Amino acid sequence: MVDLISYSGTAIARAIKGNSSTRDSVYAFFAARAKKLNRSLNSFVEIYDEPVCGDGVSSLAGVPIAIKDNICLKGKKITCASKILSSHVSVYDATVVARLKKAGLAIIGTANMDEFAFGSSTENSCYGPAKNPWDTSRVPGGSSGGSAAIVAARLAPFALGSDTGGSIRQPAAFCGVVGLKPSYGRVSRYGLVAFGSSLDQIGPLTTNFIDCAHLLNIISGFDEHDSTSASVTVPDFSAALVEDVDNLKIGIPKEYYASTLAKDVKDAIGEVIAFFKKRGAQVIDITLPHTEYAVATYYIIGSSEASSNLQRFDGIKYGSRQTGNCLRDIYTHTRAQGFGSEAKRRIFLGTYSLSSGYYDAYYVRALKVRRLIKNDFDEAFKTVDVILTPTSPTPAFKIGEKTDPLSMYLSDIYTISANLAGIPAVSFPCGFTKDKLPIGAQLIGKDFDEATLIRAGYTFQCATDYHTQIPKIAYE
Amino acid sequence: MVDKKIVEYVANLARIEIPPAEAEHISAQLSDILAYIDKLKELNVEKVEPLRGLHLENNIFRKDEALASGCQEDILKNAPVREGNYFKIPKVIE
Amino acid sequence: MNEFDIVVGLEVHVQLETASKIFCSCSTRFENPPNSNICPVCCGYPGVLPVFNRKALELALRVSLALGCQLNKKIYFERKNYFYPDLPKNYQISQYKMPLGENGRIDLLSGSTVRIARVHLEEDAGKLVHREQHSLVDFNRTGIPLLEIVSHPDINSPGQAYEYLNALKLILQYIGASECDMEKGSLRCDANISLKRKEETKLGTKVELKNMNSFKGVRDALEYEAGRQEASILKNEQIFQETRLWDADNSRTEVMRSKEEAHDYRYFPEPDLLDFTVEESLIELQRHSIPELPLAKRRRFLQTYRLSDNEIDTIISDAWLSDFFEQSCRIFAKPDRISNWLLGPFLEQVNLLPDTFDGVKISPQNFAKIVQYFSEDKLNNLAAKKTLALSVATNRDIDEIITQENLIQVSGQEELSSFVAEAIQEGAKAVKEYLEGKEQAIMFLVGMVMKKTKGKANPKVVRQLLEESLKK
Repeated sequence: MVDLISYSGTAIARAIKGNSSTRDSVYAFFAARAKKLNRSLNSFVEIYDEPVCGDGVSSLAGVPIAIKDNICLKGKKITCASKILSSHVSVYDATVVARLKKAGLAIIGTANMDEFAFGSSTENSCYGPAKNPWDTSRVPGGSSGGSAAIVAARLAPFALGSDTGGSIRQPAAFCGVVGLKPSYGRVSRYGLVAFGSSLDQIGPLTTNFIDCAHLLNIISGFDEHDSTSASVTVPDFSAALVEDVDNLKIGIPKEYYASTLAKDVKDAIGEVIAFFKKRGAQVIDITLPHTEYAVATYYIIGSSEASSNLQRFDGIKYGSRQTGNCLRDIYTHTRAQGFGSEAKRRIFLGTYSLSSGYYDAYYVRALKVRRLIKNDFDEAFKTVDVILTPTSPTPAFKIGEKTDPLSMYLSDIYTISANLAGIPAVSFPCGFTKDKLPIGAQLIGKDFDEATLIRAGYTFQCATDYHTQIPKIAYE
Repeated sequence: MVDKKIVEYVANLARIEIPPAEAEHISAQLSDILAYIDKLKELNVEKVEPLRGLHLENNIFRKDEALASGCQEDILKNAPVREGNYFKIPKVIE
Repeated sequence: MNEFDIVVGLEVHVQLETASKIFCSCSTRFENPPNSNICPVCCGYPGVLPVFNRKALELALRVSLALGCQLNKKIYFERKNYFYPDLPKNYQISQYKMPLGENGRIDLLSGSTVRIARVHLEEDAGKLVHREQHSLVDFNRTGIPLLEIVSHPDINSPGQAYEYLNALKLILQYIGASECDMEKGSLRCDANISLKRKEETKLGTKVELKNMNSFKGVRDALEYEAGRQEASILKNEQIFQETRLWDADNSRTEVMRSKEEAHDYRYFPEPDLLDFTVEESLIELQRHSIPELPLAKRRRFLQTYRLSDNEIDTIISDAWLSDFFEQSCRIFAKPDRISNWLLGPFLEQVNLLPDTFDGVKISPQNFAKIVQYFSEDKLNNLAAKKTLALSVATNRDIDEIITQENLIQVSGQEELSSFVAEAIQEGAKAVKEYLEGKEQAIMFLVGMVMKKTKGKANPKVVRQLLEESLKK
């Protein structure tokens, strides 16, 4: 059975279909691993004894999948790693969950995360930090750090994460897995606890692009419950699994190769560029001039939306309630006790930027810069098909290393722009540092053109073995 | 610069109690963050139309059909304090 | 009020008559038990998203058009952020910068015009129930589509405010947009009132009035408040910009205990809903669905039907009733007779029905036939009423009822003469009195004939025959 560790999700599904494995034995295998290794990785919030699954059939039926703890699953606890929701049971299924059930996947549990997805390290969790399987003294990235760590340590072949400013891609890079943020509107947000409603997307974390394409097929598509989901046709992403980058125009934005970029990362990306060139792609220097404003823009818009989205947690309808003599005390105590410090910081920042007297100077200005950033991409995509950048300026940092909120925010510098522009982006493993920490490369695509990202990534994957490397802890 | 008074104003709007001792600290942190965000003021955006959202032309409507959700009881069960079929709260004076 | 002008603006909220809520599929039914029309969406559950009810837009559009508003062809929603337990998300999805309609007007019967500043869509909040020691929250109402209709401060008297509200209500009912029942809360009204010295142009300090539960309440509250403000000004006291609550029991306004809150609603575009284009085809469809509005109908009725103002006002006070009236007149072209029977016996019967107007089944054709039969002496008053009673909730065939119940009026001298003779014989005492000059005594004899004919005789003919016989 130990073989299953090196199996891809699609291979496991094939084994089940071909009767060389059963759903139950596969589930038992991963559930046992998850329970055992979670003690050192803290990547799960909850591991289900029995899988939650529909009786659907698909190319991925029977494959265990973890979902980030901000995605609703009816009858199960959903906490967003926050004390304020610590006992909350969802009364409905997120649309992605309904689709997983329909496709027969086996939901294995909920993944640890930064509280309400506020963070880049999964340290802001009321359950304590998740650990990076490659080095447990380091963070797995965030906010979908639990999801990335679960897939990297092969505690489940698949996980779903959410990405508001890089929360799928940065942990994917830190943990050496493939993490894709779809175009805004590609995947329904119904049932995803909102952080930044105009930025959030649910996406797959997998060990490789084949799994990524198949899982994306299952979760994509218009949803009548989400007015922001796009009524565009969803292509069969598995059709993009071809080795072909011939004449693909790859843009290299100079703003993403600043001096702050770690040398190991810079070298690894250099190899990726060289590879694509060798395989017939055209590599073109481009400019995305407003890149340096992305983080500031993101923190205003994301925090403003979050401050409003999180007002519903007040101790009246669900979640925990603190005592108080009057209604106001219940509100202020419940929210003071229930939210962690990063959540409060974002709420304060967002409330401030929306408040009377500051609205134009901060919120409206940020929306304007958001347009400039989007215009940069529109301009760039007139000449290139995809854009290649590092996912993160550094590999995984140490737990507790970044104490200043701003320096944490800046670790998302390469991922944020894609959310502001609403375009798809994927991080995939492209090397290791001297200390054997994974390095991720990011491909950013045109609106609704995830297929080209998958094709380019798959071509790279076929020629490399970074995605097959498994951290030692997985064999413990 | 976000002074303590603004922090208190914002905390009140957000209904989050902050111990007086923490106000100073929060004001310093928010000031730092906003100092960084003030970078946006370098740009001349006078003629730029704010980007309110993506794919704004969606026009998604729902048909006017009443359906029972079937989860009224589950919702009431989640109430931190419940009385009969109501959510119970301290006396609100209008 | 000789020295002062009263300046009033009204803010009316009406619930639109949709089957489901504005952003989820929960029912909008009023009578349902607490927290039964709820779902994760209207309870503000984590992860839910709103989806806009098309009917709400259609009705809002119809209202905007009926009020002569300019339309914004592209609309979007915004969030109004404030904490209150009846507001599950602690923000209300509303419209702020871009209301659906702007710059409309309502012409009043008295000749004045009140301009409408804006018409916008939003979601209703829930209801709080207050107990001795605590309060309770019911989310049934949460998310019912609400239309806010804001007038300019063009209203100069409490009476005009009353007239405006009635006119607005009638329009909304005519176009099927809202029930406008203040008791059920499907219409709510707040008022802003200030006084201004006649010679000045500067407006006085504005006071907001809330808690009025009827149109009369609005009028009374404005009346009281105008008096209070005038007295204060004359005493050189300051008028504070404040919210006052109408206390109907004691007929006075009282300062609402200030929440000491600076309102900072932090409006921003609702990111969960994108833009909505109000298509030209939808506008045309709604424009065409607007029937003749009350004021125009009143004018036309006055010209066409030559009825009294009172009668016309009663007939047009209900769109259905006025349609029924017109259709009946088309069958039997005696508007005065139709009106008499409609406002008299018909409404009497309707009010006896358990569900009043909803229970009416009779067609205008059948109704007109009854009135016609009565007018042509085919049915007497009693028989006509009986026929109406038997058909109002069934629409049974009139001729069939008359035959089955044997109601046709007997007016023929031959059929009646024997009954008349019998009555004269049996009612000797009355005959004697009549002959002695007591005219009234003849009614006793008429009654006898009616009884003998089981109510079918034409009383006019009977009296005539009696008189003739007794003169001989």
